[in-house]
Amino acid sequence: MRKYLKDLTNLAGISSREEKIKEYIKSNVANKVDEITEDNMGNLICLIKGKDSSKKLMLDAHMDEVGFMITRINEDGTFGISPVGGVDPRVVKSQRLKIEEKISAVVNSTPIHLEKETDKVEQYESIRVYAGFSNKEEASKKVHLGDMVTFDTTYYEENSYAVAKAFDDRVGCSIMMDIIDYFFENSEKPLYDTYFNFATQEETGLRGTGTAASKIHPNFAIVLEGTTAGDNPENTPDKWATHIGNGPVLTFMHSGLVLNKEIFEKIVDTAKKLGIKFQYKMRTAGGTDAARLAKTLYGIPAGVISVPCRYIHSPQSIMNLQDYENTYQLVKQLVVNTPF
Amino acid sequence: MAKKLKELIKKITELYGPSGREDQVRDFIKEQIKDHVDDIKTDKLGNLIATKKGNSGKTILFDAHMDEIGVVVTHILDKGFLKVEQVGGQNPVNLIGSRLIFNGRIGVVGVEGESEKELKDNYKNLSLDNIFVDIGVSSKEEAEKIAPIGTFGTFAEGFVDYGNYCMSKAMDDRIGCAILIETIKNMKDNQHTVLFAFTVQEEVGLVGSFVSTFDYEVNRAIAIDVTDSLDTPKALKRMSMALGKGPCIKIKDNLSVSDREVVEWIKNAALANNIPYQFEVLTFGGTNAAGYQRTKSGIPSGTISIPTRYIHSPHEMLSYSDVENTVKLLNTLSKTNF
Repeated sequence: MRKYLKDLTNLAGISSREEKIKEYIKSNVANKVDEITEDNMGNLICLIKGKDSSKKLMLDAHMDEVGFMITRINEDGTFGISPVGGVDPRVVKSQRLKIEEKISAVVNSTPIHLEKETDKVEQYESIRVYAGFSNKEEASKKVHLGDMVTFDTTYYEENSYAVAKAFDDRVGCSIMMDIIDYFFENSEKPLYDTYFNFATQEETGLRGTGTAASKIHPNFAIVLEGTTAGDNPENTPDKWATHIGNGPVLTFMHSGLVLNKEIFEKIVDTAKKLGIKFQYKMRTAGGTDAARLAKTLYGIPAGVISVPCRYIHSPQSIMNLQDYENTYQLVKQLVVNTPF
Repeated sequence: MAKKLKELIKKITELYGPSGREDQVRDFIKEQIKDHVDDIKTDKLGNLIATKKGNSGKTILFDAHMDEIGVVVTHILDKGFLKVEQVGGQNPVNLIGSRLIFNGRIGVVGVEGESEKELKDNYKNLSLDNIFVDIGVSSKEEAEKIAPIGTFGTFAEGFVDYGNYCMSKAMDDRIGCAILIETIKNMKDNQHTVLFAFTVQEEVGLVGSFVSTFDYEVNRAIAIDVTDSLDTPKALKRMSMALGKGPCIKIKDNLSVSDREVVEWIKNAALANNIPYQFEVLTFGGTNAAGYQRTKSGIPSGTISIPTRYIHSPHEMLSYSDVENTVKLLNTLSKTNF
């Protein structure tokens, strides 16, 4: 278990540029599933046939991470960037970035003694990215408008915690790969025909999953996510969204959708029966691919299970390894033998 | 106003049915219409779709959403007070002084504040973060039994009959549901096949309307919903909708521009049958028409709105005559060519 998480989070892939992630997943699951397809939106759909082919379950995790694109090349050889997905400009300042995974870059920071308005947040309009070029001509040879920019962060583990970028949603991809491994290594079959959809472009508006679902025609879906913790100690627990270490996060409602009650309750019951620690998502802001699935075809009912991650959508997020394991156990149990 | 219709409005608005928990409303509607339609079914999302067959070869759809706005329990504090988040567009100001109902249990809302200044500031900047719900218990354990995390609540305010006007919680959009029920019961000699879609989860993102037509080919779709009435003191000057002046034919709102031919069709049907109507340009808001426009290859859509005061508050007020005229108008449309 957790064989792929490190590689997955170290790879770069903003929305629409998920190709490296996809290649990595493909090469690791190719001989373990019954069928692999890709669609026009770039979704990677892997099927493992079940004991009962009368129903189709779709598991969904998105491959893309939040990041940036080069949107301007300045006369002085620096770059302007725009966020792809929600990245607050406050987490960008002074960071190390990578352009197209090759060129290292840093974000400007006004020298502290010159910073008069300390409350002011530097917006993307004035953020400049330095990558060692001294003028526009030189920069234009190596870097182009639209190039992908990601946080330059490397995965590491410390005791029971892991730190990386892009847990949202490589953690979901990683759990799906672990489950594919489980079936392969144990020569076991899921209960229903199970479609593992590694989705594209979630962060820019849930754009990928709809076309995949239209192809699959699933009876129901389970969306796996890395979700926000917001468990800052200066806030009282009633203001937290989730708490790392408290187990998989189960969602009854989020932005744009109240989740299907039967599926939600089935997930809760399964977690209780397994005797694992779990928690509810206590904030309803932010959506997942489930909101798109509900608006697709005949309205695909879905559940959402997430691993809580502190500081998501930033260069460094923190995840508890026990939460990962418990989430894996829960999802596995649902796929292996929970009738819907 | 027929006494029966008043009773229907009372019953259907007093039902509990926040987004995603429309079961009671759906059961009630099914019971009301099942003997009057040719077909009735519930889809995977929970939309209830009834069919009345016609001979024109064309299919029109009338939509009303079953869900109402509400709150959902997200945290239970030590002494059994609840923290809630909104389900649909909820102005916290409306929660203060209102009764809420969770699993049949009434709750009231209090405001946090550990100093007079903080309390004053919190009243000025009300948000779901600085208010709490009291359901009359003394411990966390007791609260967890009655309203565990994930329990949905709604306003508890009931129906008031003013003679020409009436008022209740959840007129948005149970009045649309009542109008469709009444239309079904009165519908005779419809030329077009008419689908009646009672949809789910409109308030959280027009969810139901995106999929309710999955099994059908629909030529025109019309959402029946409420719109703001601007006939109160110092109301927004840029719009003119008023109670009692007839159903509003929507030209546009923030989420959709009504199909021009659909607008003309509705207007001409109203004119030909002496049904009063108003035009509506709403500078905010949106209805399920936006969902139908984006479904399949795009269904030409529009909205007929019932002018309503104090939308999304526990006291939504409207005029019976607008309701009756809308029922007439929908019946007329079922036999108006396009």
